[in-house]
Amino acid sequence: MLDKTATATDDPDQDDPDQGARSTSPDKTSDRVALPPDALTRALDRARTLSATWRGRGVSTQRHAPTDACNQSPTPWLLQVPDVGPACEVLLADQLLHDLTPTEREGLAEWIGDRQDPDSGAWLDVQGRPDLSLTALGWWARRVMGDDPNSDSMSRAVRVVHALGGAQRAHFSVRLWLAMGGQIPWSWLPAIPSELFLLPASVPFSPARFSPWARAMLIPYQVIARAPARLQLPDATALLLPRADGTPVVPRLTRPGLAGDLLQAFDRTVKLSRKLPRGPLPGAAAKRAQAWIDTHQQEHGGWFSVRPTLLSLIALRVGGAHGSDPRIRRGLDSLRNARGLVQGRSKVLLAQGTGGTDLAVTAELLRCAPSEPDINWLLRQELSQPGPWQDRADASAGGWPREPGAALHLDLSATCSVLETLAALPDSSSQLSAAWAASRRAIDVLIAMQEADGHFSRFERGESEIFMQRLPWSDADLLSFGSGEDDTHVRLTARCLSRLAATGFALDDDRVAKGVGWLQRTITDGRNVSLGARSLATLSAIAQTAGALCPPEHRLRTAVEHTLRARQREDGSFGTMADTALALLGLVKLGHTCVQAQRAARNLVEALTHPDTDADGWGALSQGFGLDPMAQDPSAGIRQAAIALSAYLDAGGNLGHPAQSNLGAN
Amino acid sequence: MSPAPLRKPASTEPVRVTIASLSDIETRSERPGPTLAEHYDVVIVGASLAGCAVAEALAQADGERRRRILIVDRHPDVHPRFSGEFIHPGGAQILDDLGFYESLSAAGGVDVDGFAVFENADARHVDLPYAGIKGHRPRGLSIHHKVLIRTMRQRLREHRAGHVELVEGWSVNDLVRGPRGEIAGVVLETAGHKAVTVRADLVVGADGKSSSVRKLAGISDEGRETIGFTAGIEVHNATLPRGSYAHVFLGGWGPILAYPILRHDGGVSTRITFDLPLLLPAKGERMKAYVMRTYLPFIPAPLCTEVAAAIRALEGPLEIAPTVNLPAPTAAMPGLVLVGDAAGCSHPITASGMTMGLRDAATLGKQAVRRHRVPEGEPWLDGAALRGYRAEHDRYVPTRQALADAIYEAFRGGGMGARSIRRALFEYWGTGVSARTRSMALLSGAERRPHVFLTEYLKTAGHALSTSFSPQHARHFPIGDRVRRATCAAQLARGKLGLVAAVMWAQIRPAWMVRDR
Repeated sequence: MLDKTATATDDPDQDDPDQGARSTSPDKTSDRVALPPDALTRALDRARTLSATWRGRGVSTQRHAPTDACNQSPTPWLLQVPDVGPACEVLLADQLLHDLTPTEREGLAEWIGDRQDPDSGAWLDVQGRPDLSLTALGWWARRVMGDDPNSDSMSRAVRVVHALGGAQRAHFSVRLWLAMGGQIPWSWLPAIPSELFLLPASVPFSPARFSPWARAMLIPYQVIARAPARLQLPDATALLLPRADGTPVVPRLTRPGLAGDLLQAFDRTVKLSRKLPRGPLPGAAAKRAQAWIDTHQQEHGGWFSVRPTLLSLIALRVGGAHGSDPRIRRGLDSLRNARGLVQGRSKVLLAQGTGGTDLAVTAELLRCAPSEPDINWLLRQELSQPGPWQDRADASAGGWPREPGAALHLDLSATCSVLETLAALPDSSSQLSAAWAASRRAIDVLIAMQEADGHFSRFERGESEIFMQRLPWSDADLLSFGSGEDDTHVRLTARCLSRLAATGFALDDDRVAKGVGWLQRTITDGRNVSLGARSLATLSAIAQTAGALCPPEHRLRTAVEHTLRARQREDGSFGTMADTALALLGLVKLGHTCVQAQRAARNLVEALTHPDTDADGWGALSQGFGLDPMAQDPSAGIRQAAIALSAYLDAGGNLGHPAQSNLGAN
Repeated sequence: MSPAPLRKPASTEPVRVTIASLSDIETRSERPGPTLAEHYDVVIVGASLAGCAVAEALAQADGERRRRILIVDRHPDVHPRFSGEFIHPGGAQILDDLGFYESLSAAGGVDVDGFAVFENADARHVDLPYAGIKGHRPRGLSIHHKVLIRTMRQRLREHRAGHVELVEGWSVNDLVRGPRGEIAGVVLETAGHKAVTVRADLVVGADGKSSSVRKLAGISDEGRETIGFTAGIEVHNATLPRGSYAHVFLGGWGPILAYPILRHDGGVSTRITFDLPLLLPAKGERMKAYVMRTYLPFIPAPLCTEVAAAIRALEGPLEIAPTVNLPAPTAAMPGLVLVGDAAGCSHPITASGMTMGLRDAATLGKQAVRRHRVPEGEPWLDGAALRGYRAEHDRYVPTRQALADAIYEAFRGGGMGARSIRRALFEYWGTGVSARTRSMALLSGAERRPHVFLTEYLKTAGHALSTSFSPQHARHFPIGDRVRRATCAAQLARGKLGLVAAVMWAQIRPAWMVRDR
């Protein structure tokens, strides 16, 4: 079935692992040609049509289809394509869960094999560098599928793993799989005192203070480690870097230094204490963890994302649940619903995504090509029940999750995307009243998610400032969701402020003023990352905020405009299709339909109207939840182009005369 | 701000001219204009609600019809801009006492039971009813401004013909000064006519917040500022959640008010007003889109869709009027009193401007009654009467302004302290009917006892502190956030202490002690 839908291409660029981030320039679009007068509208129409196509690709008519999804129901495409980590882990977990159909197993295996770099044998990260964790998991998944460990590609993968320090230095998740597979001792994983799970949520050490992803990982981990769980997996000791005497190098769990040494000692103490009688506490902690797993299974059957879902399912099995247990069946269904088609090197393949239909991407696609049933569907995804995000955010239920059915977890990024789509609804829409009501609730939620210093958190307040993270533990960063000043939070803060501005809030509101002040401090002071080093998506988001809220002479506005303008290339683009579109949108929102904006618009129009351009190559990177924090977003270029060109047209922009458009920056 | 230069009247020679409203001028050949005398006992400038009410109050006080009253207005019909339309029970009672109420009711005025305040469109509303306020009628009156003014003028024409002369289309371009510098009359002008001087024992400035009488008299309007704008639209047969109440919807940039204003054609028209910022983010037709995008989401369905349909169907731009804050200026000087908005106005959030204008009329009427038997040759309202009016005026106007400012600040919620106070108000109102009744009594101007004002302030401040520490939804709200909220609320409450003291002092200040202004 997959072969039938394959769209083979001879484009040599497809060999580029970073294919989704290809530039629209320079070869095909650098030659300045006179564009027909209606080129702008035609390009916009094409972008909208392609967006509608992507929306159609992302929809499954039978999301809860029976097991053989590929054969019995139209499988949707993944709108967010993660690395192969989730696919590998699903294959490993299937040794216990026994749920995958042969077609699915082969499909996932083919996807994993497709992503292996033929030259180095490694699995690469989004920057094109060999990734230790991905390579270790990829090798092991291929072993599960029966591949010969002595084959050339497998041997090269092992060499890469050894060159990078061995599997014992890999991501916590990989080590956990190795421990569950009996390849490494459990002592190579950090010990979490079970008593922590008995602490009230208000205590800083409590797991309730971890980021939602970390919480959803560590709670089942506590159950799994206590049992401990054991899966029948092929031998993977070859992945471990050995000493000269053949014994594997023992990894260090803490950071170097005195504090790290003390923590390492503490870690050993905890592990030793597990052998001593500790009364009812461990049992009570395990019960609480089991109860947490039960109560936090979401409407769609999964937990926070694929990896926490897999661990929770294993924890349930460890706790005695049978394979036919409804909780396990629902969890497996959610994993199945997270699978979808992706464009491989030469054909369409089945991949494991990290969740269901991505609401943020879907909302943006709908913004380009809205349809009443789809908007109605979007409105139905609004959160209406309490969730853990309300522990520290003082707002009633509202906003949107990352995926349909994830009723417990707010995602402020998806909420912003949906709000932008709802704000763009035409006056004639029959959903207007419902959209306003949902937007009103979402704005309350959005405001409640602002941190004391002015920035906004994506999933839960305090997600980037975890107290336990201050301990010198080598995996400590896993406890939080990024840092407060990273690109994700800067972009999110800018988007939230833009949404507030669109709802009438201005700098005379203390919350908006605080947010803009934080942006200015973070961006222009550049304590950690300079403005020039920020991604174009972030610069565009800041530009849109500054355009909506800041007067022309405002420092933030002038700084971001200067930086944005300086990023334009000779051909008028700003890099990839998505980057160019985002930059154009930023310039338009700053109030400019100037020569630079015009050149960017021309670049997009030329790319969109060129008969030979391949629209499937206009993807971009986005926030992911695989082992790699970035994922591929294949429809990014198309939908951002539609949004940007539409805004440019509304602002009175045109394509001008080609000779004029080559004049350069104004 | 420097006072307007005083000018001497062009002529003090007795004149007798015939003037007419602009509409009359256009049909001069068919209808002769009214004849003006050279002297009146009282000239009222501005024939809007306050002016008409003062005219009627004075006419009632002069039961023997010994006095002549002239009331002039610069607009041939009514002011084209939409204006106040809501009258609290105290004002409705004054209208009833003056004989206007029945006419207004017959003209389509709507009885209102109080206010329904929505913290947000999804929250349960809080009713602030008039019914429990002791000693006051249980309902206020709401009526379309233009219908109100036309009806009041019509009644004056019909019932006070020969006693009160009403002329339209003439404006005041100067004041006449007497030998001791007192105001002794006005100079009137209209298009196509020579300016005419009319002398009077008393000039009443009832010409609104931008009063030209106030400027010509040189009364300082220090502190006057435009603080924003109000856009309004009429919606016929709107679905108000609380039909007979005025509604306040919070959550957007500024409060949205919705109240029924007119019964007609078998239905009811509702006025919806939007509080806009001083720096208007859009103008003209774009304002419609702006209001729809930024305000309508904060109105519950189905009202929001009805308002949207009304905005879409509206030909031309939305009606917009500036929101002016004018701390009560000196309301009386020899030969002159100011009434209504000319004597102080504030944000319309408490809808008390018209009630205050009516109270001014009633207060002036009382002074007129007290001196209705003074012999010919003596001014009807002498200096003592004007001081009496001013002393009373200075008690209720600053109170009303202080309350309007505080409520607006809390309802808008532009700062954390203000939002804490807003939350506290809803918590307080949730404690029982008596709390809501007391608040409504204060807001409608029915309650002026200082200890009640102080008690309400302290209770609200107490609730602000307690609600700051107990969030509405968050189960483990960070301590730092709670403290920050409480600190901001305490700072705001502390900042209002001086205002509370000033209001209390206004109530207990001896009449002989003139307010320092």
